[in-house]
Amino acid sequence: MDLASLGGNLLGTIPLGDIVLYLTPFHLFMFVVVLIFTVLIAMSRTETQVEASFKTLNDNKVSVGLEEFKIRRFLAIVCGLATAGAMITGDLFNFTLFATLIGIVNLGIVSAVKQIDVLDAAYNYGLIAMICSLPLFGGAAIILASTGTLSLFEIAKIATTAPMMTFGALLLLIGIAGETGTAPFFATKAEMFRTPGSPFILIIHLSSLMVIIRAIEIILIIIKVI
Amino acid sequence: MLVPDFVPAITASFFIPAIYAAIIVAFIGLMGIAIERRDIHILILTDIVGLAMLIIVAAVGTDLAEALILPGLVVELAEILAISEILISREMRRIESKNGDNNVKTSVFPLPLTLDMEVMTTAPNFIALVMLGFGAFLTGFTGGAVAGGGILLYILSRKSRGLPIAIIDGVSGISGIAWCLWIIGFVLFFLAPEFWLLSLFMAACGLVLKVASKIGLIGTLMREEYKRE
Repeated sequence: MDLASLGGNLLGTIPLGDIVLYLTPFHLFMFVVVLIFTVLIAMSRTETQVEASFKTLNDNKVSVGLEEFKIRRFLAIVCGLATAGAMITGDLFNFTLFATLIGIVNLGIVSAVKQIDVLDAAYNYGLIAMICSLPLFGGAAIILASTGTLSLFEIAKIATTAPMMTFGALLLLIGIAGETGTAPFFATKAEMFRTPGSPFILIIHLSSLMVIIRAIEIILIIIKVI
Repeated sequence: MLVPDFVPAITASFFIPAIYAAIIVAFIGLMGIAIERRDIHILILTDIVGLAMLIIVAAVGTDLAEALILPGLVVELAEILAISEILISREMRRIESKNGDNNVKTSVFPLPLTLDMEVMTTAPNFIALVMLGFGAFLTGFTGGAVAGGGILLYILSRKSRGLPIAIIDGVSGISGIAWCLWIIGFVLFFLAPEFWLLSLFMAACGLVLKVASKIGLIGTLMREEYKRE
């Protein structure tokens, strides 16, 4: 599909050498939404989880210390900025880099919970993220090899889809799904809503949601089936 | 059609075999991960899959692909460091909870670490000085790695001879400022291409300071755990 039918009217381009950023209402909307969420998360405080204890009337409060709170807030802000960058970028290579940055930062946010089971889940997520850097970078490299450019603005001008472009786009989708830890790869992430220090955990869900939407747009730009 | 004329045909024909080689390497790595049961071995085998990623990117062989290789390598290293930290933290917690007593803190290195090598006592200062000078001459990423290795050798040798080490707390600050210099040089490439020599030197000198101080930082961190009996 062309750029206008995917993201609305082309508002303009920002040429920086061979990296050409292009702005559409779709990108600007997603960019602003992610920035607003990042600001909200940066201002918020961690919630204290209250566990009812068995056979007594006491409550067990699980709270987060100041040191851990600061580290988590920093990681959440970095994750939000990386997501915002992935929304606005017009370069496939920068998009893959933002996706891997989101993956590493998500790993840090998950592993900041110092419980053995959560660390076990974070370890498995890290393995998946590392394995999925193969389809992610491999897909970008194959698209580069078959089109000669990584700029989405240039790829959108190419009239036909070569088979290797389709293959590269599918690899890219697998890589994004694994790097952001969506369902088939990291099902534990859905259980992560209710760990101590919740608002910072939310950014990993928001980032994977937004990045998957942007990845589908990029794949529709590369594969011209519709 | 996309390959320029001056590229020999044999170079261009290596692309498909390289892709197949990468897929075979990744398949071997994934088979190993599926068979192996110990966590640390799985982590090491995962690195093989990362190497297959580097093979695919290197198969393209243009300057844009070269720009993809370095971040790919850095991402692999960062992820393997993060995962091994998680693994260490998990195992330490597991041992602590098995002991039952929370007051007993487990160390990162459970075994005493001694380095009794001849190079530590013969002429470490001279070797470190040569490495620093050669690193400053090289500049860039390679030079930073060589100079940082010199700093590391110097700190380790002083520690192994039992001499006091001057602790510089601002090393990480130097690293950060040097990195800013690198980024400014890089942005200047895009905005004002006529100042390419200035931006090249800013990027190269920023990078040599950054990498050298980073590796030197590893040396200063090592002094905590090193030679503990």
